[in-house]
Amino acid sequence: MTPPGIEVSGLAVRYGDVPAVQDVSFSVARGELVTLLGPSGCGKTTTLRAIAGLEQPSGGAIRLHGRSVFDAGAGRNVPTEQRGVSMVFQSYAIWPHMTVAENVGYGLRVRRLAREEITRSVDHALGLVQMRDYAARPASRLSGGQQQRVAVARAIAFSPDVLLFDEPLSNLDAKLRAEMRVELRELQQRLNITSLYVTHDQEEALAISDRVIVMQGGRIEQIGAPEEVYNRPGSRFVAEFVGSANLIHGRLLAPAGGTVSFEVAEGSVLELCPNRQPRGDETIVALRSAYIALAPAGAASGANTLRGRIHRRMFHGDFIQYVVACPAGTLIVRRPPTELFAEGADVTASFAPEHCVLL
Amino acid sequence: MDSKGSAFGGGRGGKAPSPFLPASLLLLACAVLVLYPVAFLLEESFNVGDPQQFPAAEFGLDNYRAIADDLHVLGNTAEVAAIATVLAVLFGFSLAWILTRTSIPGRALLERLMELPYYMTPLVGALAWGILAGPKTGFINQVGHLLGLSGDLVNIYTPFGIGWVMALFEGTVAFVIIGAAMKSMDPSLEEGARVLGAGKLRTIFTVTLPMVAPGVLSAAVFVFAEMLGAFAAAFVLGIPGRFFVITTAIWEATLSYPPDYGRAAALGLSLFAVMLVTLGISRRITGRGSFATISGKAFRPRPIDMGRGGGWLLLVVCWTYIAVSVVLPLAALLLTSFQRFATVVLSQSQFTLDNYATALQMGTLGLAFRNSLLLGFCVATIGMLLTFTLVWIVYRSRTPGRGAFEYIGMFPQAVPRLVFGLGLLWAWINIPIPIYGTLWLLGIAYVTVFLPLGMRTLAGVMLQVDASLEECAKVCGAGWLRRMRTVTLPLLRPGLAAAWLLLFIASVRELGVSIFLMGPNSKVIAPAIVNSWLSSSSELSAAMALLQTATVFAAMLILFAAVRRVSGERA
Repeated sequence: MTPPGIEVSGLAVRYGDVPAVQDVSFSVARGELVTLLGPSGCGKTTTLRAIAGLEQPSGGAIRLHGRSVFDAGAGRNVPTEQRGVSMVFQSYAIWPHMTVAENVGYGLRVRRLAREEITRSVDHALGLVQMRDYAARPASRLSGGQQQRVAVARAIAFSPDVLLFDEPLSNLDAKLRAEMRVELRELQQRLNITSLYVTHDQEEALAISDRVIVMQGGRIEQIGAPEEVYNRPGSRFVAEFVGSANLIHGRLLAPAGGTVSFEVAEGSVLELCPNRQPRGDETIVALRSAYIALAPAGAASGANTLRGRIHRRMFHGDFIQYVVACPAGTLIVRRPPTELFAEGADVTASFAPEHCVLL
Repeated sequence: MDSKGSAFGGGRGGKAPSPFLPASLLLLACAVLVLYPVAFLLEESFNVGDPQQFPAAEFGLDNYRAIADDLHVLGNTAEVAAIATVLAVLFGFSLAWILTRTSIPGRALLERLMELPYYMTPLVGALAWGILAGPKTGFINQVGHLLGLSGDLVNIYTPFGIGWVMALFEGTVAFVIIGAAMKSMDPSLEEGARVLGAGKLRTIFTVTLPMVAPGVLSAAVFVFAEMLGAFAAAFVLGIPGRFFVITTAIWEATLSYPPDYGRAAALGLSLFAVMLVTLGISRRITGRGSFATISGKAFRPRPIDMGRGGGWLLLVVCWTYIAVSVVLPLAALLLTSFQRFATVVLSQSQFTLDNYATALQMGTLGLAFRNSLLLGFCVATIGMLLTFTLVWIVYRSRTPGRGAFEYIGMFPQAVPRLVFGLGLLWAWINIPIPIYGTLWLLGIAYVTVFLPLGMRTLAGVMLQVDASLEECAKVCGAGWLRRMRTVTLPLLRPGLAAAWLLLFIASVRELGVSIFLMGPNSKVIAPAIVNSWLSSSSELSAAMALLQTATVFAAMLILFAAVRRVSGERA
């Protein structure tokens, strides 16, 4: 079996006495795009930089395509320039004293390739990001979006084994960011290059990844496909950080038959179908705000319905966000802009058992 | 190249020797260069036996007790420093206020001209004012006699005269500090007061002045500390009347026979301690007062319209300062340098080019001038490369001890130049390498005392260049040397050019260290000017001072041109 593109085990990084990353282990298959997602200070960028060799880990091991590049136990630490990784920096790090072509060809010149080959590869890389016309332009005269494309071209020009992205889109405006997201994903799949992508934007992470790693406080919270992380958050942190979720407090009832019942305030009982055996001491159920249906009061009844009143309606354009006051607590509900309810109206909120996640 | 690359690259190779070794060794060597002379000074100040003996055989506090005999020297120092501080802050505050807060014509040009006095050097200024305002023969007094006055109008050889000359050239420093505080004040703070209903005057007293006060206070304390350690003006104008301040007393103790190194060291270290405390106070004021300058962003506060008459008056104030600190001294030196005997009575004067011929001919003086240029080029080049490497290690690598070195490297800044020179003298006399009395020693000494200048200049630009630019080259596979050659050095080019020229200028005008370390075969220009002045040839001194000033100004013009070209490219 071929070894994975990136293999991190037991990684630990400390800044002085402060642990920045602790016991982080994961692997990225060849050609896969995996995202490290988390709030600022969660250790995602530190993990990425440790893989690049720009941070010195205090423990653990890193293997790239089966080659050990860091191993605390064996005292092994391959310097960055010999790791065969490439990276797109958050600031783009475009060298202002070179032309676009000189920027893109840097890694090729370092590898002492023939002049014609450098010209051909630079041309190819610039073509991939639609920047061929700018080759001779001084890099200091580029817009933010253009710099971003040049940074990507430079990172892929020398055909690295592993491509690392450090929040590459965070300095672009929202519209450009959404476009570049699609382009980056297409490029990554076309080149079939093993990629690790760092972002704090959960929408971006869900959209472009094969798998998402959610991090918090220097540790991994959950690893899974985007749908899995969204639909089945493994912890309260993931439920709140990825997407918009309601947390409903209550207690588990003694299991009876195949279903699991969860009692919330005022005696309402929710039915759940968890994908794991409950421990028995869970007190929170997470429920995505997009998965809650609203109906005029009395229209629906039965399992997993809650009575409530529209407390606040906020029009967001792509959706309407309702704040619904229920006896069990306040629910945030997102509905398509076609489903209008007046503020103050009595409603019934309903949702499927499989969308209730026991935490 | 790659093996060298990993050496600086920051990876730890486990059992392999530490890759930080070369960087650590360099830091250690420079730390020794800086701290070794001070250690010597400390040792010598406690030496109560034979002052020429090393290591000292007897230790005691006698040298410090003897300071009590020098109380008049301390008094003189405080007097001169206080006069200079009051005048300098007065000059600096008025100029800063005029140039930042009023709408007088030609503000940009004036602001640039304000830098000139700083480059003039106090030595040249003191010589010029000695010619201008000396008793009897001074130009101003000659004019007075011509007009029929019997006595002297002015006498610069007094404590007030020394303070006046110091203040003229330190006024620039006060101007820069106070001007920065005034410029960095957000105009919306004043506008806020106006919006809430305060009038113009009320706004000035309740908002403007309190915001600027820390800047003024910090400038005053800083200038006072500098003046305590000032040497050139007190030397040129004080020695003839045997009026001693601490620095000139140190000089005298060292060069008298037998040399009293212990007394010099004790005086020097006491001065250092006082300066350190004073500078610490200055820094605290700036730190606490930082509410005035918190954004670090330069604003252009709304200028106050002074009306036609007021505007002219302020303009006259600015140009008077330039005239008194630059134009008049240079004119006096120029006139003197072309004469056999200095006089403003042109009918009596005999014009000659002999003084320049003497200054430049192949004798010791011409040699001193060439030595200074040679040292300037070498010290600037080596110093630039060394400080670049040090700054890179401190700010871009993970070498152990880099944090401590940030302070050690700045240490020579806090020690009065003359005191540091004394320490260097002692340190290198007692080392079994025969470089005492050679240009090598002067070169090493210059590099040591200019470390702070180079490091400060380069750290400023290094911190502006994002670290990811260099990291990206690393990720692309480039080793250390290649990264420096293709990315870091080209990006720092403007800063490197500035550092080179500043080091060159500083070397060419260096006095405090050179006066101790210069040997018969390694004369340099500034002490040579002083010696020629002491042998009472003001005409020859004037010619030499002008040559030195011309060299410094030429370097400065290149500096400005380079900076303007670079900023033009960036825009």
